[in-house]
Amino acid sequence: MEVQSNDERSFRLVYEEVFPILMRVVYHVTNNVDLAEEICQEAFIRFFDKQMSFPSLNDAKYWLIRVSKNLAINHVKRKSRERSMVEKLKQMPTPHANTTDGEKVLMEQETRKQVQEAIEELPEKYRLVIVLKEYSDMDYKQIAQVLNISESNVKVRVYRARKMLESILNQE
Amino acid sequence: MCVDDELLSTFLDGELTEPWKTQVAEHLGYCSACRTRLSQLQQLSERLTSVTLTEDEMAASKDRVLAFFETTKFPTATDKVPFLKRRFELKLAPALLSAAAFVVVVVGAFVFFSPNSPHGQEILPGVVAPIDSEHIRQVTDLPKPTLDMFSLEQIIQHLDAMGYAVKLEVKAVTPIE
Repeated sequence: MEVQSNDERSFRLVYEEVFPILMRVVYHVTNNVDLAEEICQEAFIRFFDKQMSFPSLNDAKYWLIRVSKNLAINHVKRKSRERSMVEKLKQMPTPHANTTDGEKVLMEQETRKQVQEAIEELPEKYRLVIVLKEYSDMDYKQIAQVLNISESNVKVRVYRARKMLESILNQE
Repeated sequence: MCVDDELLSTFLDGELTEPWKTQVAEHLGYCSACRTRLSQLQQLSERLTSVTLTEDEMAASKDRVLAFFETTKFPTATDKVPFLKRRFELKLAPALLSAAAFVVVVVGAFVFFSPNSPHGQEILPGVVAPIDSEHIRQVTDLPKPTLDMFSLEQIIQHLDAMGYAVKLEVKAVTPIE
């Protein structure tokens, strides 16, 4: 199915399918929900305004992930030294806000914080690959296409990222 | 010999191709050490995916961004009704205008060109006046307007109409006693 980015019907289809993936990927790269929302909006604005035609919904998805990933990385590079730990904690979303089990919420928050900090410690090339692997529902081939690297490179990076994460998380 | 750690990671992702996939699966059947290692990698992967944003956590963002597009990029359902109305009015207007123009022409023709009408007698000779040098005046022959062609009163009225404040002063004239 061909996708015309500025056609309302096509746009809504792509949006419904891709927005959650984009949000998760950008959130795990930036560790900031509000920023993830801003970046996703910016990516979709570019998508709409460029009036492009994609041979399939997947191609539109890859394009959007590539653009938002670049926006997220640029932002992280620019802001990494400016943000304090206090701000980071403030920006953590409260998971399952409707639950009454306070202890469970705290545990989840703590796990989320640990994992996010571990991901943040990874060098960029490993961070992107593991985030795409775990949060975008894409296989090695698709990740390779988005990042413009070889499939075997994706395989190696996923493994190395896992080893690094294990090492960071086991230290805590 | 046990399975390489990287192969296990690839196996976990379901990305291992044959014949290695079958070989690793067979090995896992009898090697508890590799099963434990695979389980560790799986737990790590689950730990990562468990902390992602839930649909509920993203719902507000998703609605806000979509609302942005609905207000700025898409024509909304409420805009479409007046648009249709406008088109309807546009279609109706030329029809009314042409009907009105037709009435004016027909009635006008009866009034002016009726054989019994005195107006017709007056107008018709004028219409058929011969075109010769007497009746044609070259625009280029007209003298260019100069100030001398206008009276002082006309000049002042013109300047007044243009918005200028005119102050008149009379010199070298004996004052009236």
